[in-house]
Amino acid sequence: MTHPVSHALPEIEIREPTPDERTQWFEEFQAAARRPLRTRFRYAFIKTYKPVLDDAEYRSFESTAEYRAWCEAQLPDWLGYGPAI
Amino acid sequence: MAPRFEYTQAEEIRDSFARNGVRHLFLGKSGAILLGFPDTTQDADVFVEKSESNGRSLVVALRELGFDLTDGQADEIGRGKDFIQLKNGPFDLDLIFAPDGIESFAEAWERHVDVEGFAVCHPDDIIRSKAATNRVKDRESLPRLKQFRDFWVGSRGGE
Repeated sequence: MTHPVSHALPEIEIREPTPDERTQWFEEFQAAARRPLRTRFRYAFIKTYKPVLDDAEYRSFESTAEYRAWCEAQLPDWLGYGPAI
Repeated sequence: MAPRFEYTQAEEIRDSFARNGVRHLFLGKSGAILLGFPDTTQDADVFVEKSESNGRSLVVALRELGFDLTDGQADEIGRGKDFIQLKNGPFDLDLIFAPDGIESFAEAWERHVDVEGFAVCHPDDIIRSKAATNRVKDRESLPRLKQFRDFWVGSRGGE
C-alpha cells in the first residue's frame, strides 16, 4: 500500500457501536486482515436479483441527485436505496 | 443479470484501465473490501475522473472488457454523465463521475490508497460518500465501516 495523506475523519453523525459489537467487529477485522485479498474477494461479492434495479442493462443519470430521486421513486423500500429518515 | 463479481474481473478492470490510462478509484463498499473490510456487496463502484480524454479512454477500456455499448451509451460515458449503471457486460459496474460527499477526483486521488495495484479511495472518502448519500443501507453500514476505518488506521501506525 502507498501512504495516503493523513487527514481527519469528517464530522458525521454515526451511531456508536455497543461494546459487544466493538469486540465482535474487531475480531472480524483481524481475521480478514490475515486472509489474502483474493480470498476476501471470494466471500465479499454476492449476487442476488434486485427487482427493478436489475431489470435494465444500462441506466444513466445527469446527476447523483437525479439517481437518488429515481431510486426513491422506483425501487422497493426494502432494498434500502431510499433516504434514511 | 451478470454473475457475481470475481477477483480476476477486478484485475481485468485494473489492468485494462491502466493500459488505457483511465484515471479511476474504487469507491463504496467494493473499495472498502479491497482495503480489508469484511462485508458483502453486489456491485463494483468506480469513481472516474471527469474529463474528455479520460472519458474516451474509459469507453475503449470498457469495450475491451466486454461491455456491449451502443454509440449513444459510449457518448454518455465519454462525456461523463454523473452516474451510470452498466449491466451489459461480464459483470455489473457502477461508474460514478461525481460521488456525493467528495469534492473532486484530484482531492480523492491525493489521499488514495494502493492495494496490490488497485487504486482505492481512502476510507474517510468512502465514509464521507456513504454518509452524504444518506441511504438507509449506507446509514446501517456506517458504524461498522467507521470502526473498520479506525482499525485500518491503527494497523498502519495511526496515519
